[in-house]
Amino acid sequence: MARMKFICDTERCIECNGCVTACKNENEVPWGVNRRRVVTVNDGIIGQEKSISVACMHCTDAPCMAVCPVDCFYRTDEGVVLHDKDICIGCGYCSFACPFGAPQFLSKGAFGSRSKMDKCTFCSGGPEENGSVAEFEKYGRNRLAEGKLPICAEMCSTKALIGGDSDIIAGIFNNRVATREKNGHYPGSKAFGWTTAYGGPDTPTPTPTPADKIPGAK
Amino acid sequence: MKAYFRTLGLCFAAATILTACSEPPEIAAKAAKRPDVAPYMGANNGFMTKGWTPGNQVSWTEAINQRNQGQNEYSRIK
Repeated sequence: MARMKFICDTERCIECNGCVTACKNENEVPWGVNRRRVVTVNDGIIGQEKSISVACMHCTDAPCMAVCPVDCFYRTDEGVVLHDKDICIGCGYCSFACPFGAPQFLSKGAFGSRSKMDKCTFCSGGPEENGSVAEFEKYGRNRLAEGKLPICAEMCSTKALIGGDSDIIAGIFNNRVATREKNGHYPGSKAFGWTTAYGGPDTPTPTPTPADKIPGAK
Repeated sequence: MKAYFRTLGLCFAAATILTACSEPPEIAAKAAKRPDVAPYMGANNGFMTKGWTPGNQVSWTEAINQRNQGQNEYSRIK
């Protein structure tokens, strides 16, 4: 078993927010907490508008795990980063450490009081008994233990968001990119792999976009 | 007699403070990280998919991998 991961294909995402809705419904996530959200860039610019669905990326070297003062995080054998809400103190350090904004906190009242941390579990629950009511109430559904994959990926209508074993989903994505290249739609786009997804030795240094080229920026 | 009561009061106060600062055993037990059960052990509810045996990691992995391919249109339309 490789590691469980998500990939979002920006060429396919249509910003329908179906993944967001499905996640909230399946896990009964409370109002004010979004385990998954869709981010859109270049909004309104024809041909350049791209959307991507973002949640916990279940990092291999997760910064949230590194900074947690009470060590409430753990990683499963499937590579899913989970946490124990009975240990979490709701300090918010993980929120500052996470580059994707995955840790969420429910504002409960006055003076900025907040709940314990809540985040995407890759639909695999938490340390409570698999499929139990206690697990559902604290962490949501445990679909992996039911033999299923995360609801957000499984119900994505355009299959922009795919989730599962990283080797398999990277293969699915590779096939798409190769087909696009073959059809001449995206000549020059490179096949995607886990070694290049977040930068590798051949990755060119990113060039910051000048402020005058960013629409709406002053 | 007065000194006796003062000493007694100090002892009582010290005992109260020390007790208040200690950690009850139930809190200490909760803070310990609990082991999670692997997903291939199955879920204790009625929503399990068919085609694999709970407790058998190989069959769970095969079922999940097969389900993974459900996200691949290129294999679905063939």
